[in-house]
Amino acid sequence: MTRIEAIIQPSRFEAVKTALHQIGIEGMTVSEVRGHGRQKGHTETYRGREYEVDLLPKVKIEMVLPYNLVDSAIQTILKHAKTGKIGDGKIFVSKIDEAIRIRDEERGEAAL
Amino acid sequence: MAVAPSIALLRDSYTAEAARIEAEFAATSDGSKAVQARSAQVDQIVVQLTEAILGPDIQRVCLAAIGGYGRRALFPFSDIDLLFLCEDPVTLKRYRDPMRSIAQTLWDLRMKLSPANRLVSECDSFSRDNPEFAVSLLDQRFLAGDRRLFNRLHGDSLPRLLSRSGSDLLQDISELTRQRHAKEGDTIFHLEPNLKNSPGGLRDYHTACWVAMLSHPHRIADWAAPENLWPAQRREEMLKAFDFLAAARCFLHYKQGRDDNGLSYELQAAAAQRGVGLEAGRPVDPADWMRIYFRHARAIYSLSTQLLDESLPVPMTLLSRFDRWRTRRSNPETSVVGGRLAINQPELVRDLDRLLGLFLSIAQEGHKLGREAEELISQALPKTVESGAHVPGLWEKLRQILIAPHAPAALRAMHSSGLLVRLFPEFAVIDSLVMRDFYHHYTVDAHSFMTIENIHRLRQARHDWERPFAGIFSELEEPELLFLSLLFHDVGKGMPGDDHVVTGLQAVEQVFLRLGVEEDEADTVRFLIREHLQMSMNLLRRDIFDPETIRGFAEKVGSLEHLKLLTLFTYADIRAVNPEALTPWKAESLFQFYVSTASYMSRSLDEERFHAGAQDEHIERILKALAKSGARPEEARQELGAFLEGLPRRYVLAHTPEEIAMHFQMARDLEKSDVQLRLSKRGHWYRLILVTTDRPLLFAGISGALAAWGMNIWKAEAFANGAGTVVDTFHFTDPNRTLELNPGERQRLEQNITAVVSGQTPLEDLLRGRAVTQAMRPPKITVATEVRFDDSSSSHSTLLEIVTQDRPGLLHRVSSALAQTGCNIEVALIDTEGQRAVDAFYLTVQGRKLSAEKQQELRDELLAAG
Repeated sequence: MTRIEAIIQPSRFEAVKTALHQIGIEGMTVSEVRGHGRQKGHTETYRGREYEVDLLPKVKIEMVLPYNLVDSAIQTILKHAKTGKIGDGKIFVSKIDEAIRIRDEERGEAAL
Repeated sequence: MAVAPSIALLRDSYTAEAARIEAEFAATSDGSKAVQARSAQVDQIVVQLTEAILGPDIQRVCLAAIGGYGRRALFPFSDIDLLFLCEDPVTLKRYRDPMRSIAQTLWDLRMKLSPANRLVSECDSFSRDNPEFAVSLLDQRFLAGDRRLFNRLHGDSLPRLLSRSGSDLLQDISELTRQRHAKEGDTIFHLEPNLKNSPGGLRDYHTACWVAMLSHPHRIADWAAPENLWPAQRREEMLKAFDFLAAARCFLHYKQGRDDNGLSYELQAAAAQRGVGLEAGRPVDPADWMRIYFRHARAIYSLSTQLLDESLPVPMTLLSRFDRWRTRRSNPETSVVGGRLAINQPELVRDLDRLLGLFLSIAQEGHKLGREAEELISQALPKTVESGAHVPGLWEKLRQILIAPHAPAALRAMHSSGLLVRLFPEFAVIDSLVMRDFYHHYTVDAHSFMTIENIHRLRQARHDWERPFAGIFSELEEPELLFLSLLFHDVGKGMPGDDHVVTGLQAVEQVFLRLGVEEDEADTVRFLIREHLQMSMNLLRRDIFDPETIRGFAEKVGSLEHLKLLTLFTYADIRAVNPEALTPWKAESLFQFYVSTASYMSRSLDEERFHAGAQDEHIERILKALAKSGARPEEARQELGAFLEGLPRRYVLAHTPEEIAMHFQMARDLEKSDVQLRLSKRGHWYRLILVTTDRPLLFAGISGALAAWGMNIWKAEAFANGAGTVVDTFHFTDPNRTLELNPGERQRLEQNITAVVSGQTPLEDLLRGRAVTQAMRPPKITVATEVRFDDSSSSHSTLLEIVTQDRPGLLHRVSSALAQTGCNIEVALIDTEGQRAVDAFYLTVQGRKLSAEKQQELRDELLAAG
């Protein structure tokens, strides 16, 4: 099993979610987050005051998938989250040792 | 001890009887009868089982039903509250195991039991940690065992508890109710309400019972039925409401096979199809069935909150005494009891003017409208005002209500009494309207009131992420237009058509006609309703840090004032979807979007100039406006193009076609007289528009003349076209009420300004004659002066931004300093936020940007002038 954590532009979230549903991935955890990579944010001057926007709004999608879905999930996220501009986000992939469904204590991929 | 009956036998008889009750309910839809029947069924089993397990020892203990079971209102899957009472600790210990065995057997029969063991002597003490137990004791009922023990509880311990701690219990009930209501948004109008816990649900019905009992301590000894302690005229509607809710809750329990009281969309449709709670079980449309539900919930909510308000002692502070005195003195026709407004003179409700005055007092003071007053108004309405009638002065009265701090309370009271729909029949289509979607929690009318409440609550912003929006709210020129838009923004949802924005815009035209709003006011409301989803959609689907997104959005919005209104609209609208819809993350993103757009508008002001194409849509709209004023549009086309040529695009976007048409006419009239001036009053402020040809010291002259007259300029703008025609607008207040108290002075002010601008009167003469001697109030906050230059925003001018303490004559001093250093104002935008003046000028010196030396000279001059 593999955990995919994608941090993407909020404006791309709907498109990414719909595309993931279309390839059969429905379970995901979504969070509203803030942060920056090399993008660093920027400063706006508004009515004589400086507003430093150093942490930019992003959406974090987390999901744990069986191995056979991992590549297609990554490709789907890349296709729909990419605008080619700085700030498009990142995808992190890591291995998962175990998954347990709390309701019936089922384990492994069957619990996903 | 006797042998306990077999579980199998008990289960068979329990199941058979339960099935009979369910079948009877299915046939009659009589929920009240079903809950009584189930209580009786459980009584029989519990008594039979207890007698069997305890045998003759049953006389050593007492078994009582409490809570919902005690009041014989046991819903099909509700918990069964049982109380085992004993005389002393030894007996309690001795019978603990048999009592546990009784409970276990009942559990095995799949009854959800909540048993409690107590000594009778413990029942007279009130624990603040567990007010629910004391509340459940209020509905105690003897089941089996030692009746003397029960009589001691009933006739001795409980009356003692209530006389000692009744007011504490009342306070706890009030606090628990307040918390529960707050969690549910303080409204009954949930799209998927919980029949037990939502405001207006069964919990509130029983709260009305408990509060009535606790508020009549002298009746506790005789344990009067609480329903008989309610005001007589409310009893019938309460009992009907209970019957309806009882039927609906039974239906839910049977349908789902568990104690789940959430009335989902699917269950609403199923209940409506079966006509649950209705006479003869006739099927109805789900929306109509929900309207009936809301009517019953409203009756329960109204009485329970009224009884709570009346029952709690009001601390008689000096302020509250004054408040009561003032209310009585200034409104002899009304009085306030327990925070609720009662009508003393019934003829009041037949006079619309006085009736609107009553709602204004609610909006200002925050009282609730008493139920009797509401009914009085409701019954009189057909004689008070014709439906949708044109009422002279209605806009001014509604405006005052909308901007008052408790406007949502007044609007809700106007709605529940029927007045709002009477005045605006367009609102009727969203009355208690359930729109099924995944996110909204409230009916459309409740959502609309909540949006208005969200804005007014900004006055007491508590979270960091709310404060920037509170700041924007405090800067609005005409907040009433925001509130008017919010009130009607979703009326289209109740009308046939695919797009509620389009149908809503059509409906609101009738509202404008009836209110008689000015065309530019109507235009702002149209803009807000038309674009009310724009910011949310941009936040969701566009990159709000992309300059192209910002540019496109700024074009659509047009002016900073529109941007402020739309930002607050979006804030209020998202927040009224459900309690969690506006997260701090979303609020911060919305504010960043606002800041980026505002900043873009300011930076692009001078750079983006208007150049009309052959069929420019702006030109067409202005020509249409000209035609309305009697001009011949085709003859004016070319001349209008020349007038607009080179004006900042922002000018064209920020003004309505009617305003631009007026400016154009003024520019045409320059042939007759070289200074054209219009002065008009809007609410508590004045607007001066001046059109002339550009000349040195123009801006300084006008601002100086206004300062000499003691006027307080809080907003101004200066635009010029390519041919050097200037359109300057000043918004000012008249703190000394000179113009209001001396009508003749208005003409003299206009003459003075014209004379100064045309050079006939030196400004110094005016200033000398009326030295600026206004007493300066010490500022509440001190604002440090900041002077900034920016050469990057425009290709040919320098942007100067000044932030400083606002004070009389400031703009005159600043613009004089600009003139003295040889600067020409290309564009100016002057604004005031509380005590901060925020001024932006695009400047040139001899047609070029300011050099570094000139910037330094000007900075020194400004700091010296400040």
